Amino acid sequence: MFAMRKIRWGKYIFLMLVAGFVLVPMFATVLGGFKSLGELRTNPFGLPDVWEFEYYAQVFADGSIWLLMKNSLIIAFFSVLLTLIIGTMTAFTFSHIKFAGYKYIYNYFLIGMMFPAAAAILPLFLKIRDLGLLDSLSGVVIPQVAFGLGFSILLFRSFFEQLPSELFDAARVDGCSYIKFYWHVILPLSTPILATVGVFVLVASWNNYLLPLLVLNTEQQYPWTLGIMQYRGEYGIEWNRILAYVTVTITPAIVFFLFAQKYIVEGLTGGAVKG
Amino acid sequence: MASVEFKHIEKIYPGNVHTVKDFNLKINDGEFIVFLGPSGCGKSTTLRMLAGLEDISGGEILINDKVVNDLEPIERDIAMVFQSYALYPHMTVYQNIAFALRLAGLSKAEIEKKVRPVADMLELTPLLDRKPKALSGGQRQRVAMGRAMVRTPEVFLFDEPLSNLDAKLRNSMRTEIKILHKKMKKTTIYVTHDQVEAMTLADRIVILRDGKVEQVGTPSEIYHSPANKFVAGFIGSPAMNFIPIELAKDEGCWFVDISGQKLNLLGDVDDNQTATKATLGIRPCDIHITPDLLTNPLVIKGKVENLELLGSTIQLTSRLGDSQIAIEAPSSHVVNEDEVINFYIDESRLQMFSDQSGLSIYKPKAVLESVTDQ
Repeated sequence: MFAMRKIRWGKYIFLMLVAGFVLVPMFATVLGGFKSLGELRTNPFGLPDVWEFEYYAQVFADGSIWLLMKNSLIIAFFSVLLTLIIGTMTAFTFSHIKFAGYKYIYNYFLIGMMFPAAAAILPLFLKIRDLGLLDSLSGVVIPQVAFGLGFSILLFRSFFEQLPSELFDAARVDGCSYIKFYWHVILPLSTPILATVGVFVLVASWNNYLLPLLVLNTEQQYPWTLGIMQYRGEYGIEWNRILAYVTVTITPAIVFFLFAQKYIVEGLTGGAVKG
Repeated sequence: MASVEFKHIEKIYPGNVHTVKDFNLKINDGEFIVFLGPSGCGKSTTLRMLAGLEDISGGEILINDKVVNDLEPIERDIAMVFQSYALYPHMTVYQNIAFALRLAGLSKAEIEKKVRPVADMLELTPLLDRKPKALSGGQRQRVAMGRAMVRTPEVFLFDEPLSNLDAKLRNSMRTEIKILHKKMKKTTIYVTHDQVEAMTLADRIVILRDGKVEQVGTPSEIYHSPANKFVAGFIGSPAMNFIPIELAKDEGCWFVDISGQKLNLLGDVDDNQTATKATLGIRPCDIHITPDLLTNPLVIKGKVENLELLGSTIQLTSRLGDSQIAIEAPSSHVVNEDEVINFYIDESRLQMFSDQSGLSIYKPKAVLESVTDQ
């Protein structure tokens, strides 16, 4: 009895440590924007003695934050949209249509997962330049989608394979073509996995620094990840401004994640379709 | 008119797996055909080839004298009810039934006009707004049937639709299917491994084993005149008794020797039967413990080894030589274990099968007489 209690407390302590590992830096980030530089050094994790709102105000002051966020949002939106559309269609093909050589093509997509974007900087730059997509948001979106497809197809296909095959038989007898089955049956049943993949792609896109750095030259096109480097140049190492800026820019991703959380849990625990 | 014809249908899977072998069958308009057989015999595969869900490796399938091999399921004017119902989980009952009509481009009003009567017929009207997960097994099965019926197809296909239901529900759904067939009079092909379903629903039964047709006939023909040992043993519960016997002719009359006991046969043995060894088949209910009501009883003696009361009947086991036999009798009779009694075999129900081919090689006298009378 006592041993059980000990184990339960042990679990609580462990979980609190893990949660703390994530939450403490987050709170430090949020609170850091309210502190002066000096206080930030002496009291990095605690509540501010004096709540200074000027740094958060300055983040919004010249209005450039909105343009940066808008660019990030456009890139993220199209990345998510294209990944979901192309990923689901591809995964649907692999899970339902066994054409000659499908295993090889599927593995080819999965190999893409092993390939880090950082190793591909030079060939990527050359390809984007050759396609005439340098210094455009499309030049960021398309490679992002390409790199994210491997993981997305893997998740989608695993989910689609759980759907009973008789469902497609019934739909075919009812007069469903492949496209209609994809639209009327597969997509509505896939909301958990769509949310999961959507969030992963969104967060990856939102935080992406390397690809925009590689592709974009015009300040008007910069997402917030490049914008922070501008801030850094201006302010030197004013960490409190940087922390305020980071808090503002990661908020949309967190909000979206919280909203989609329920679907993500469903998607990752692979709820089988019954009935 | 919706006749269906299978001409030399074959199904060969990769790796040379020959699931269906030279399947031939002609089904008349309005007939209720049951494909019956053990698991893996090719009955579902054949049904799916008819539906257009499986490619046909060889032969032709005709619906209304039109070859349909290359047509999509929707173009064949068939509807199918699946074993697992295969309802669309994210749609309501109404939407499930209406889905095919929606795909066909009908207006909302037209769909409503078609769905309501079907829902009423299947008593689904109070459930139309529910999703499948909020329904019981029987209700889901009725929705699956409604989805098939609303399209008014020429041919109905059922793939073991009652397998997932409990015994009581299976009985009531079986009756519902029979009533619906009487009402709608559509050609129906029904796949099952349950012989009770086959015997009660079918106009004709097709018995399949290992991809081959063993026998096609009415339930009565299959039960009383099985073409071979497999059909005889597959149909009927409790199963038919098979007794190895010696066959001989004495002054032009056939007789069999069962471990020393001699029985004179009154019927005809097939002329091609040259071997002396064969297998006798007789159902437990056709072995009686009194000769009453039998015109030509064949008498053998046996010791009652075991006795079980099943309610209205008793089941006895006895031994003839090395073979154990089962006997079913009304429970009104008084029999004791270890008693040696006379068993009276109903000659008109006697079966005999060749040990080489398994085919039936005997026609009882009563059957011969009924044939000559006609």
